[in-house]
Amino acid sequence: MKNKKAPILICAAVIFAAAAAAVFALPEKKNLDFFAMDTLVNFNITARGADIITEEAKNRVNALDTEVLSRQSASSEIYSLNKNHGGKMSEQVGEYISVLLDVFKKSGGAFDFTLGALSDLWGFGGEPSVPPEDKIGEILALTGADKITINGGNIEFPQGAVLDFGAAGKGIALDEIKEILDKYKAKEAVISVGGSILVYGGRDFKVGIRDPRSQSGYAAVLTLGQACVSTSGSYERFFESGGRRYHHILDPKTGHPAENGLVSATVISDSGILSDALSTACFVSGLEEGMALARSFGCEAVFIDENDKIYTTPGIADSTEITGGGFTKAVMPGAREAE
Amino acid sequence: MKIKLLKKADIIIIAAAAAAAIGFILFQRLGVQRLTAVISVDGSVVQSVRLDEVTSRVEIRPQGAPDVLIVAENGKIRFEGSDCPDKLCVKRGELYRKGDTAVCLPEKTVITVTGAELDAVTY
Repeated sequence: MKNKKAPILICAAVIFAAAAAAVFALPEKKNLDFFAMDTLVNFNITARGADIITEEAKNRVNALDTEVLSRQSASSEIYSLNKNHGGKMSEQVGEYISVLLDVFKKSGGAFDFTLGALSDLWGFGGEPSVPPEDKIGEILALTGADKITINGGNIEFPQGAVLDFGAAGKGIALDEIKEILDKYKAKEAVISVGGSILVYGGRDFKVGIRDPRSQSGYAAVLTLGQACVSTSGSYERFFESGGRRYHHILDPKTGHPAENGLVSATVISDSGILSDALSTACFVSGLEEGMALARSFGCEAVFIDENDKIYTTPGIADSTEITGGGFTKAVMPGAREAE
Repeated sequence: MKIKLLKKADIIIIAAAAAAAIGFILFQRLGVQRLTAVISVDGSVVQSVRLDEVTSRVEIRPQGAPDVLIVAENGKIRFEGSDCPDKLCVKRGELYRKGDTAVCLPEKTVITVTGAELDAVTY
């Protein structure tokens, strides 16, 4: 006698096998928060083998901090270069410096990564205070990325100049993490290194720009494909003295916090190091020069000024949605009114 | 002799399993939407409210439209009162889905629910 149930059982077995295979092939999601580079790092990785990727990415960020970029860690390359006013660079650091020199030059010196001593003088990171003017002048006379000499794999700079990757390190970390995500063919990831963001994968992502006035809400929401997004804002780290407010983004020309009406500059780029360094460069350069600078690197940018106006490069205007109360989308001065 | 492969009950079981699987996948993909109500007066955004964070009653008198009273409560938002003659905005009732909009023309006030589910915030 024929077993009537046999076809059903076979059918069920096939469905079960297919479902099991699908479950194993499904990418897992992994979320991880940890502290590195003096800031909060957050991973949200969707991939097969997300655990391994997350672990490797975390190790890479920690190593980048303590072995390469940190100014404080005695085992880091930058520490040793600063101690000896130069020396042989690793290929990796050579590449970073060449990118940062490009930003230095194109920004007309608005971005300068040799101002470690100036930043220490202001005491950001510890107990900040307004330094005497003659001290600022002394340091400015000794510093400047234009005083760097590069010869093959060697770098030299005068005593007094102190390499400081504070304005580019988070972006560099994003580039390093992206390399790992590529290697493992991760499906999707959202990475935040202290507010510098990498959105990774084949869909549209929504990235909010922090409301400079509130610390919690967001002023605008960007809809982006895969990209790195960094923001420099005067609200992020500051102190008050003598009734005045001093933020931490120093203008290399004056040695004082940059004051030009901008409260936040966001730069979007394929490259993490560029988005991070340019956000600082644009913030210091101000509205018009900053916009031109971002565009000269083929990057998109969103600036917020102290009158709650939000300016964007044309390429991202349609993908920028204003969500914060009181903000208005503004047209670039000098540019023709957008339709 | 014709063999009947599937009984009615078998079909029901397979259909139910398929429906559950599809439902599960959709739920995974869509996740929980984080909805934001954006309030604007005369074309400018004056306030935004994260609806998923609103539980107890929040009263809003939007800047620039002091005669309008908006209330957000339990993930929903509505015009509760307005000085306008027709009260169409109040009659619009509760807004809680992405794309829901209510307008008070005389007061030039608009509430729109956006599905701005953020992946990340840059600062």
